[in-house]
Amino acid sequence: MGFSLRRLLSWEGLLLLILLLVVAVNALLSPVYLGLNNQVNLFQLSIEKIIVALVMTFIIINGEIDLSVASVMGLAACVLAYLFERGVPMEQAVVAALAVGALCGAFNGFWVAYIGLPSLAVTLAGLIGYRGVARILLEDRSITGFPEWFNRLGQQPILGPLPLAVVLFFGLYMIALVVLNFSGVGRLVYVVGNNREVARYSGVRVPRLKMGLFIASGFIAALAGVLLAARLGAVRGNTADGFELDIITMVLLGGVSIFGGTGNLFGVGLAILIILNMRNGMALLNVTGNVQTGVVGLLLIFSVLIPNLVQDGQTLLQRRRARRKEVELKVKAGD
Amino acid sequence: MITSYELRVTSYELSVPSIVNPPALPALPFVKLTNREAEGSLSKGQSSIAMHSSQPQPTLLLRGITKRFGSTQALDGVGLAMYPGEIHALLGENGAGKSTLIKIITGVHQPDTGEILLDSRPIRIGSTLEAQAHGIAAIYQEPMMYPDLNVAENIFITHAGRGPLVNWRRVYREAESILDQLDVQLDVRQPARGLTVAAQQTVEIARAISLRVRVLIMDEPTAALSAHEVEQLFSLARRLREQGVAILFISHRMEEVFSIADRVTVFRDGRLISSAPRAEVTPEGAIRDMAGRTVEQLFPRSNTVQEETLVQVRELSKAGVFADVHFEVRKGEVLGFAGLVGARRTDVGLALFGVEPADSGEILLDGVARHVRSPNQAMALGIAYVSEDRRALGLSLPMAISANITLPTLRRYLSALGLVRGQAEAAEAEHYRQRLAIRAPSVAVEVGKLSGGNQQKVMLSKWLNTKPRLLILDEPTRGIDVGAKAEVHQMIDDLAAQGMAIILISSDLPEVLAMSDRVLVMREGRQVGLFSRAEATQERILAAAMGQAGGETVA
Repeated sequence: MGFSLRRLLSWEGLLLLILLLVVAVNALLSPVYLGLNNQVNLFQLSIEKIIVALVMTFIIINGEIDLSVASVMGLAACVLAYLFERGVPMEQAVVAALAVGALCGAFNGFWVAYIGLPSLAVTLAGLIGYRGVARILLEDRSITGFPEWFNRLGQQPILGPLPLAVVLFFGLYMIALVVLNFSGVGRLVYVVGNNREVARYSGVRVPRLKMGLFIASGFIAALAGVLLAARLGAVRGNTADGFELDIITMVLLGGVSIFGGTGNLFGVGLAILIILNMRNGMALLNVTGNVQTGVVGLLLIFSVLIPNLVQDGQTLLQRRRARRKEVELKVKAGD
Repeated sequence: MITSYELRVTSYELSVPSIVNPPALPALPFVKLTNREAEGSLSKGQSSIAMHSSQPQPTLLLRGITKRFGSTQALDGVGLAMYPGEIHALLGENGAGKSTLIKIITGVHQPDTGEILLDSRPIRIGSTLEAQAHGIAAIYQEPMMYPDLNVAENIFITHAGRGPLVNWRRVYREAESILDQLDVQLDVRQPARGLTVAAQQTVEIARAISLRVRVLIMDEPTAALSAHEVEQLFSLARRLREQGVAILFISHRMEEVFSIADRVTVFRDGRLISSAPRAEVTPEGAIRDMAGRTVEQLFPRSNTVQEETLVQVRELSKAGVFADVHFEVRKGEVLGFAGLVGARRTDVGLALFGVEPADSGEILLDGVARHVRSPNQAMALGIAYVSEDRRALGLSLPMAISANITLPTLRRYLSALGLVRGQAEAAEAEHYRQRLAIRAPSVAVEVGKLSGGNQQKVMLSKWLNTKPRLLILDEPTRGIDVGAKAEVHQMIDDLAAQGMAIILISSDLPEVLAMSDRVLVMREGRQVGLFSRAEATQERILAAAMGQAGGETVA
C-alpha cells in the first residue's frame, strides 16, 4: 500500500489524477467533448507547440533554455512565404525554411556551447532578433495562396482521422522517449544537466552535446513553423508570436526542473494532455481565450508550489513525530 | 577480506616500511599513542601558557577547545592565549586544526567543549557578527571585497551608521582618517575592483580598525603578495601591535613567521604541541614539532617498480600556476605528490589529464611526446584522473552506480542504434562492485545514497574501467573511514603490482610516505624536492614544503 501511495504522490501520479479530473469534468459538462472529431481537433489546435515542447524537454533537462523557438517558428514560416512569393518552388522553400531554423539553432548553440554565455541571454536575443528578421521579410503583409498540396498537408487526415502533424507528433514523441530514456545521448543529457563539470572531467564533450541540442531545437522549431503555415494557410510577420511561453509551461508543468538534471517525457506528455484538454473544455464552454490563459498560468504556479508544499508538509510531519517520541520518552523516564 | 587486514598492522610512529630499505624502527614502535597520553601532551602545552603569567592579562584566552566533525577530531583540548600587543604565529601542517580554530574564534563554528574568555570574561561567539561585536576580525589570503563599491563603502559596509540615510561626508572623512593613521595612500572613492590584493587587504585592515579591532587574525595573508607588499603588510601589523591589538598570524613561510612573530605555537593533529617565545624556537625545532604525526595503520607496500619508464614530464609550466615541473614515473611505481594546501599539486594533475592544459613543457609516454589538450585525449593515451572533489567533480550523485562507472567509457556500452546496452553495463558495474567491495544492494542504487568510502570506490571503478596506464589519484582517502582507507591503499598496491604507474597526490603525509616509492614535493607552484623512499621523512618533506631546505636528491 505504501508503494502505490508513493506512486500516486509522485509528480506523474499527481498529473495523472489532474488529467482524469479534467477529462471527467469536461465529459460531464459537454456532450461533444469525447467525440472523435473533438479529440483530434484538440490536438491539432496546438500541435506545433507540443512538437516543440518535446525538444524543449531535452534542452531544459540539459540545464539550458531556448526562448527563441517561437521566433524561429515565425522566421521559418516567413522565409517559406517570402521565397514562395518570389516564385521559388514550394518544396525548395520548405527545405530552405528548415535550413534557416537549423542555422538559427546553430547560432544560439555557438554562443552557449563554445563561448559559454548563458542561454537565457543568448536565446532572448534570438527571440528578438529572429522575430525582427521575420518582420523585415514580410513587413505587414499576409502571404496566402500556397499550393493545394501544401495546405492539405496541414489539414487532411492521412492516417485514419489524423493529419500529418498529429502523426508526426506521436512519432516524434516515441523517438524522443526512447532517445531520452535509453540512448547514450539521453544519458549524457541528464549527466550534463545535473553537473556539467562532472561530465567534463569524465571526458564528455559537453559543448558538442549542447550545440547538437540547440541545432535540433532550431530545426524542430522550423519544422513546426512550416506545419503551422500549412495548417493556417497564411503567414504573417507575427506568426507563432508568444508561443515560447506555452511551450515552456508544458515542460515545467511536466515536472522538468528549470535547473536541469531531472524530469522525463512521461510527465511532459501528461502535462501536454492536461493543458490541451483544459483549454478544449473551456473553449467548449465558451470561456474566452484570455481566461484560458489565466487558468493555465495558475496551473503553472501550482506546479511550482505543490512540490515545495509537499516537502514542507513532510518535514513538518517528521518533526512532529520526533517531538512526540521525545515526549513519550520523557513520560517514560518520569514514571 | 581486506578489512581484517588493518587489525594485523601494528601502528608505527614515524616509520616507513620498505622492502628495499628496512625501516629503522623508533624506540617504541608498537606503542599506540592513546588518548590519555595525548592529554598529557596537551597539559604540557598548557603549562607553557601558564609560564606566560608575567605578562598582562590575555585579550583572548581559549581553554580546552575540542571540535569534532563526524569521525575526525579536528581539535582536541586546545588552549591558546593571545596577549595585547603580541603577534602570535600559529604553525601546523594541513589538517592540524588551524583553520578550525580560526573558524571557532570568528564564530563560524561553535566548539563542542571548552571556553573562550575575552578580558577574562567568558563569551560565546555565535556568529561572525558577534565576533565583530567583540572586536574580533580576520583577514584572509583572498580578501572579501564588494568589487563595485568604493574603498570607503567597503570599509564601512556593515556599520555606516544607523537609520535609513548614510552620512556620506562622515564615512569618507573617517575612512580617510583611518588610512592616514595607517600611513597608506589610497583614494577612498576608488572602486575596489582593480585594487591589488595587497591594497584590498589594507582595506580589510582598515575595516577591522573602524570596528575597533582588539583581536586580528591574519590567515595566510602573504600567499599572494610580492616581497615588497609583504613588508608593507608587516609594517601595518607592527603598527597595530603597538596599538595593543592581539594578532594571530598564520603562514606557511617560515622566514616570515620568524621575522614578525613574538610567539610561535605549533599544532599537530588537532593538538597543541608547543608554544614558546620566538627567541626560544628555531625553524628546525618548529618543523620537528609539526612533523611526527602519529599513524594508526600503515600499509606495507610491496616493491613493484619496474625498469621501464612510462611517463616523462619535462619543464611543464602554466603561467601563474606552476612552473618547471619535471619528473618521471616508471611502470609499477607510485610517485607521491606532497605539499601544503596551495602548492598547486592538483593543477599539475589537471594539466596531465588535459582538463586545464599546461602552457609549455613536454609530456612523454613511452618516450614519445604527446599533446594532452582535453580529457578525451588523455583517456585515449591511457591517463586517468580521480578527482579530489567527489561531489562537485567526480560523481553524478542522482545517477545509478552503473551509470557513473560507465560514464567515461559509455561508447563501449552502446548498440549500433546508439542505445545503452543495459545488461552489459550492469554486468560491468557488478564486476567492479564485487572487486572493490562496494557496499550497496545493487548497481542501480543512486550514488548519492552511498557513504563517502563507497562513493570513492565507485569513482575508482569508473576510472579503472578506462583501463589506464597512468592513474592520477588526488586525495583518494580524504573524508573516508579507516576501513575504506585501508581498502584503497590495498587497491593502490595491487594496481602498482599489475604495472600501473600511479601519481598519488595527498595531503596526508603519513599516507604519502607509506604508499610512495618516491615523493615529489611542491611549494607555491614550484617543484622543491624529490626524495627516494629511503630519504623521505616527515621532517624533510615538511622542510621542503615550507621552503626551508630543498632536496633534489634523486633523478
